[in-house]
Amino acid sequence: MQSFLNAFKKATKNMLSMAPMILAIVGLVGLFQGFVTRQMLASLFGGNPVADTLVGTFAGMIAVGQAMISYILGGELLDQGVSLYAVAAFVLAWVTLGIVQLPMEIEVFGGRFVLYRNLLAFVSTILVATAAAGVTLWLA
Amino acid sequence: MGAGQGSKQQPFRFRGLKLLGFVVLLYGAAYLWDTSRTIKSLEGFVHVLGTLIPILIVVTVLTALINLFIDPKSLAKHLGGESGVKGWVIALSAGVVSHGPMYAWYPMIQGLREKGARDGLLIAFFYARAVKVALLPMMVAYFGLTFTVVLTVLTLLAAWGQGVVMDRMSASV
Repeated sequence: MQSFLNAFKKATKNMLSMAPMILAIVGLVGLFQGFVTRQMLASLFGGNPVADTLVGTFAGMIAVGQAMISYILGGELLDQGVSLYAVAAFVLAWVTLGIVQLPMEIEVFGGRFVLYRNLLAFVSTILVATAAAGVTLWLA
Repeated sequence: MGAGQGSKQQPFRFRGLKLLGFVVLLYGAAYLWDTSRTIKSLEGFVHVLGTLIPILIVVTVLTALINLFIDPKSLAKHLGGESGVKGWVIALSAGVVSHGPMYAWYPMIQGLREKGARDGLLIAFFYARAVKVALLPMMVAYFGLTFTVVLTVLTLLAAWGQGVVMDRMSASV
């Protein structure tokens, strides 16, 4: 029991040392929610599936919040005529990529790991979104 | 952080104070520009923090348990260079079942990394987090069953593929 308490104290200390970083990220999430509207996001898409897939990836990288919200926004974007390719990229990038958390990620893991992780995730997101939307539309 | 039992303790220091100061300044500027939206942002901040705190507690307890029960030798066996298929299954499953925002998991993942978990598996874990089991019915409702199944399978394959690429890059450095 004593050794668990020691391990817990150490883990709590580690988590507390990250508190300013976590508060900053949550603060940025709050600002995003307050200032970026759904209409603003929808206005980014121009109708070209290739360009919109890239736009969807970048919009997903910038956007923050629970994954559930990305599904709701993605559904609205589909209703507004945005392609499934772009929406798939948006939904996937929302969870796997994040500009807002980059400073914390670099601070914790170091620049090299973060660069490789984000590059791989970026390329994968475009490939997976394109393939998933393509297969879905082909089977429909 | 996350160093193994008996490792030298680093002095306590807060990380990210400058970023926090910058965000506080942003809120100040935002308040002067649009008060009502800034108040909405603050409400969002409080709401997100409220949902995050229980996750941070769970992550802290998990980190303590890992530090207590998993020594670098056994961790290397399960998540290190020789972990094989078992390592991939653990990394992908852990990614799928993990909840909350990605940054809540950073301290624990870095702890595992310092104990010998290889980067490829950690990258696979992060990407597999795109699959949210609890939200699959919602995804089906919005995008259809075919899209949900195809996206889920491809996401897991991509997570594994990224891990393989990362391992090769790490080996070549």
